[in-house]
Amino acid sequence: MATRIGNWLDERFGWRRVWEVIFLRKVPKVNWLYTLGSATLFVGINQMVTGILLTIYYVPSPDQAYDSVQYITTQVPAGWLIRGLHHWGASAMIVLSVLHMLRVIFYGAYKYPREMTWITGIISGIIVIGFGFTGYLLPWDQKAFWATTVGTRIAEVTPIIGPWILRIMRGGEELTAVTLARFFGVHVWFLPATLAVLILIHLYLVVRIGISAVPKRGE
Amino acid sequence: MGEDKEINRRNFMSLATWAIGALIGAGLGIPAIAYIVGPALQRLEAQEWIRLGSAAKVELGTPTLFKTKIERKTGWIVNEDEITVYVLTEDGRDFVAMSNICTHLGCRIRWVADSGQFFCPCHNGVFDKDGGIVSGPVPRPLDRFELKVEDGQLYILGG
Ligand code: FES
Repeated sequence: MATRIGNWLDERFGWRRVWEVIFLRKVPKVNWLYTLGSATLFVGINQMVTGILLTIYYVPSPDQAYDSVQYITTQVPAGWLIRGLHHWGASAMIVLSVLHMLRVIFYGAYKYPREMTWITGIISGIIVIGFGFTGYLLPWDQKAFWATTVGTRIAEVTPIIGPWILRIMRGGEELTAVTLARFFGVHVWFLPATLAVLILIHLYLVVRIGISAVPKRGE
Repeated sequence: MGEDKEINRRNFMSLATWAIGALIGAGLGIPAIAYIVGPALQRLEAQEWIRLGSAAKVELGTPTLFKTKIERKTGWIVNEDEITVYVLTEDGRDFVAMSNICTHLGCRIRWVADSGQFFCPCHNGVFDKDGGIVSGPVPRPLDRFELKVEDGQLYILGG
């Protein structure tokens, strides 16, 4: 019965072919370091799911942000778990992205014909850092406030356009409700939308070109 | 592959992958459901006795309006809500406390002394002095609060 439904659906969707291309493709003999990309993707999906869940209660306004986060952590069933996964997943995301990048560098996997995979990866890495920076402000506690004060000040040091960058980041001269709201918007809309597109291209290229083999001595 | 059901390395790996995947899915999925529906299932905060005012203020045979403030916590916000209650007594000993919220769709009813009835402006619901249905689309009599009198003060049970 299940196979019949499966066949019926496959006749219309053709998903078996897609499945084979994505998951049953031939890969060279590689080692565990080649799982770092998948690990990053896994944590990324965790961030997406828990992030969506957090928006159910979180309110990005100065008089409610902190209290709503406290409410999530202490009152909502499993709220501590969801927030904890998002919090620790954020750090894991940075660590795994960097390790993944180092593997690609040391194995020379960014070379022809994989330059575009590399470039989309690098931009994704920058976006991941953007996630970390904007997400850090959202709990709106002392640490968040001062970290963002310092972070935006660092951007201000940029020659010539620095003060402009600071104003654009903060949405004004000071760190205010406007800052919190725009950090939230960037964190939950701009960055995810951009990252989704980049990762789709990145994965398409991985499947299309195939992954690189471990380089041999003398290569 | 395919026909033979025996467990070889390939089948085992694929089975293990699916099993671990399902485990992780459940591990996140079940807490996620609890997380979403949690506040909806929370029982109303414990009821407590709320002081309305002096029992002597109630006119005999006429529903008298009492207003009082209570603090309610919804989520992470503490609100000051006003509770409005009509108190009726015929003999100064037995009191009845009625909610001023229409049982139809929740408008505020008011006592019209001329007709001696409660009137709801939203869809012309009418209740009698004891909160019983007179006319209109109202489905049930006015809700009542549990009431007690202590040292000449009226208290209702609410939250
Ligand atoms: S709400 Fe009172 S009659 Fe409809």
